Amino acid sequence: MAPAEDGLAPGQQTSSAPATGPAAAKNPFNFQTQFMDAPVVKSNIGQRRGHRYKHSSISAQHQVFQEPPPRPPPVLPASLPIPTLKEAWGSMNSNQRARLYWCCCHAAVAVYVFFSAENSLAMTALSHLVFFDVGSAAVCVAVDVLGNFEVWRRSSIRHPFGLQRAEVLAGFAMSVFLVFGGFDLLSHNLKHVLETVGEHTPHHTHADARYVSPGTVDFASLAAVVSTLVSAYGLRNHGRIRRVMRVPLPYLSSLLPGAGILANPFHFLTLCFAFLMLLLPLVSVPYFVWLDRVICAAIAGSMFTLGTRLAIAQGLMLLMSYSGQQPDSNSNSNNSNAVALGKKTDVGGGIGSRGKDNNTGVTAVVREIEAEPHVARVDEAQFWQVHYGLAMANLKVCLVRGCDDSTLSQLRTRLARVVQNRLGEGYGRGGYLRWEVTVQTSTDGGNLAGL
Amino acid sequence: MAASYALPTSAFPQHHYHPSSDHIHSHSHSHGHSHSHAPASLSSLSPSRNRRDSRAAGGHSRSHTNEHNHTHHQGHSHPPAQSRQSLPPPSAPSSHWRTDSTLGGDPMSIPTNGSFDALNKKYELPVGGDPHAHSHSDSHSHDGHSHDHSHDHSHDHSHDHSAHDHSVERSKFTTFLLPYTSRWPILHTIMTEKDSRRIFYFMTLNFAFMTIQAFYGYVTDSLGLLSDSIHMFFDCVALAVGLFAAVASKWPPSQRFPYGFGKIETLSGFGNGVFLVLISVEIMFEAFERIIEGRETKRLGELFVVSTMGLLVNLVGMAAFGHHHHGGHDHGHSHGGHSHGSGGHDHDHSHSHSCSDEKKHDHSPAAHAHSHGHDNENMHGIYLHVLADTLGSAAVIVSTILTHFWKWAGWDPVASFLIAVLILLSSLPLVKSSARRLLLTIPPEIEYNLRETLSGISELRGVAGYAVPKFWIDDRNSGEDAPANKLLGVMHVVAVKGADMEDVRDRVSKYLLGHDIDVTLQVEREGDTSCWCGVGRSPLSHSHKPTKSTNIF
Repeated sequence: MAPAEDGLAPGQQTSSAPATGPAAAKNPFNFQTQFMDAPVVKSNIGQRRGHRYKHSSISAQHQVFQEPPPRPPPVLPASLPIPTLKEAWGSMNSNQRARLYWCCCHAAVAVYVFFSAENSLAMTALSHLVFFDVGSAAVCVAVDVLGNFEVWRRSSIRHPFGLQRAEVLAGFAMSVFLVFGGFDLLSHNLKHVLETVGEHTPHHTHADARYVSPGTVDFASLAAVVSTLVSAYGLRNHGRIRRVMRVPLPYLSSLLPGAGILANPFHFLTLCFAFLMLLLPLVSVPYFVWLDRVICAAIAGSMFTLGTRLAIAQGLMLLMSYSGQQPDSNSNSNNSNAVALGKKTDVGGGIGSRGKDNNTGVTAVVREIEAEPHVARVDEAQFWQVHYGLAMANLKVCLVRGCDDSTLSQLRTRLARVVQNRLGEGYGRGGYLRWEVTVQTSTDGGNLAGL
Repeated sequence: MAASYALPTSAFPQHHYHPSSDHIHSHSHSHGHSHSHAPASLSSLSPSRNRRDSRAAGGHSRSHTNEHNHTHHQGHSHPPAQSRQSLPPPSAPSSHWRTDSTLGGDPMSIPTNGSFDALNKKYELPVGGDPHAHSHSDSHSHDGHSHDHSHDHSHDHSHDHSAHDHSVERSKFTTFLLPYTSRWPILHTIMTEKDSRRIFYFMTLNFAFMTIQAFYGYVTDSLGLLSDSIHMFFDCVALAVGLFAAVASKWPPSQRFPYGFGKIETLSGFGNGVFLVLISVEIMFEAFERIIEGRETKRLGELFVVSTMGLLVNLVGMAAFGHHHHGGHDHGHSHGGHSHGSGGHDHDHSHSHSCSDEKKHDHSPAAHAHSHGHDNENMHGIYLHVLADTLGSAAVIVSTILTHFWKWAGWDPVASFLIAVLILLSSLPLVKSSARRLLLTIPPEIEYNLRETLSGISELRGVAGYAVPKFWIDDRNSGEDAPANKLLGVMHVVAVKGADMEDVRDRVSKYLLGHDIDVTLQVEREGDTSCWCGVGRSPLSHSHKPTKSTNIF
């Protein structure tokens, strides 16, 4: 209470000072007019040595402190605070909280599936898939919540691109989990096969280890199906991860064009196998050991394949490269090739292999930039993707002589537009990639040696 | 806007403290610099037999001498460091190669493969000493605590495997093998690089061992052998990934990878770390299950033999990879490792050691994340993987012995649970440090200098301001002569009206190059608001507002 009063008292005093006496007397608040301890301060003046407060009268008179030269405020904060768990919890809105709760439910389902798989390898494998779903959903929630904070998006010196790359990193970790799961299941499977092939009597008889009587519903698989459907339809959790994998399963999208949820490989896998396990007892297929192993091997194999692809896709991003190929870029690049044909091009520096087919987008863009009237050549062009939503293009361009400021400005805008239009993929399709284009210009014969 | 400025000022004090607390680390970077000068002087000394090889080796031995001395001056009070310093005198007069190795640099910190190459080539060959015995005496002379055990084991395994494997006697064998590999370019690249060669040898050993195991397992119908060979196969896969990363990190930048492949080793280290975390979690779960179920472990004898062999093979790996670390930055790892490996006799003993080991692990990423460490994350990951396997075999051995004497089914789960905890704890720092690098985070001490540098920019003539400064650590030339903390970056600079833009650009980029920052500069005229960086758009602030400026094209 005391500090608040102290803080209020001077303000009250100044506001009431111009007013006349009655006004002050009528003050509804019971504030005492306080004076600062002036005598104490005065008695101190002659005795203080050493440090003096810059704005005190003594220091001002003697100019002990030189004013530092005025500096503009820093462009970037050095670092932004990374939210603690408590702050993150406090910042969540209701939608995010609902997603979090659902994540917990999903995790519970995964644990249930895991523990209801008594020695059934296929069920264990299914639980791995569900665990992966839970993990990715959790990553999505975390990303959502962190997006509430400034440190996530805004760049500081310590985190030049914000923390958004963490999403890619988490995705990479999840894909490592997939690979690990695939390996793990395969090795378990192999061990079981060895145990039974060898003449040792298997110490677990697998046939009756987990037995769902024919014609009844296997609750574990049912739970897996339901939770996956809720996650897919209700929350659209896997949109992000699907975006990374441009060609998730080579034949899936052609087999099921416009299949919506099913085109997402993860939901597809989980749903598929869960349905299979659900149906097998229902239609009274006897539960063979070999069937169990085959299903497990299938799940493990697909986990491994998907995990590898996902890991490569995200690893490329983490390696600071741009590997985007949008399907409709081919026609465009043909056009630009035609435009660029007339121009003699000489590209050094960062552009090593131009004839590569795997990067037609970037090559085409570089050619188009070279085709600009004011551009003599492109010295260096670095295209790389920072995270799912941001990519950078750093160009060092040599111009023809005689460009004034407005031409330069226009040229920059045009180059930025070219890059954005060519490479900013899928604007209407939800996955929007923003390009930050930086163009370093020089004129021919200018000093390039220092750069 | 006012609010957004409250942030930086509040953030300032923290960052003045950070560098000061990390000052020791930032000092150790400068050794990285001095190390870059080394190869010239040493390679001129040595008649170069194989150009690349001897050069790399020379650079290393030199650099470690420097680093070693400096750390002592700064009073890094790692216990092992002190014990190392006190150790050499007693052992020095006993063996003649000790003097040799002091010629080539302090041997304590360099039991790297490459340095042995150099030493053997330059000094050992005339003497005709056995390079193989030699390397062992070197590597163990600084083993502060676990002298006897590690001696025993290393002798064991060296005798065991000198017959069919060659990862121990590197220098002679490598020089003998190199001419033959020149026919296969890939193999040749693997063999010429130090790290990849080591991974390759160990992978070959692992693979050979796996084949033998699988064959005998098949012949004798031994389940334990077969399943252990499966395990070995997965190890081989992990090693192959590491090998690929080590090779790929040397690839030059291309259009698709404008910044080269310097990050691939960090990536591999991260992947390995995550893998280890997952494995240890799984082992913990399994151990829990087994404790609850009380399952009996069977075929004890077979298990014992198999895991002993696995332990031996992995000890070779520990010897190979552990010393790399040693050389690099931290003297804790392989001590811990050795005592672990030998700690098979006594369980508790090995634990206490590994805890101290863990602490050093904690220090090390912060200290070296950028000092020297282009290749360390990959090797660290592999090292931890091998360490995990070694610990696993040791745990199996211990638990079989215990089960043999005291019939309790819980020994094995308990041992594996403890080992899993250890693995988890030791791989978390690796995951953290590599994640930090992959996120392109600027480490505190560099950040401090960077802020100083940036504040100097606006004082340059003709510069009105700047925007969107984004910098990241350069991972391209991960070779020996790369300067340690080079930064790459992007920045938009605003030139005042009337200033020549070329001039401003040259001035700023020269200034930044003077601070080891290679930047792509976009120079804009004051008052031009067309760029996405939004320089002149709001008079109050130059700050970048990504949420607003998403689409201006």
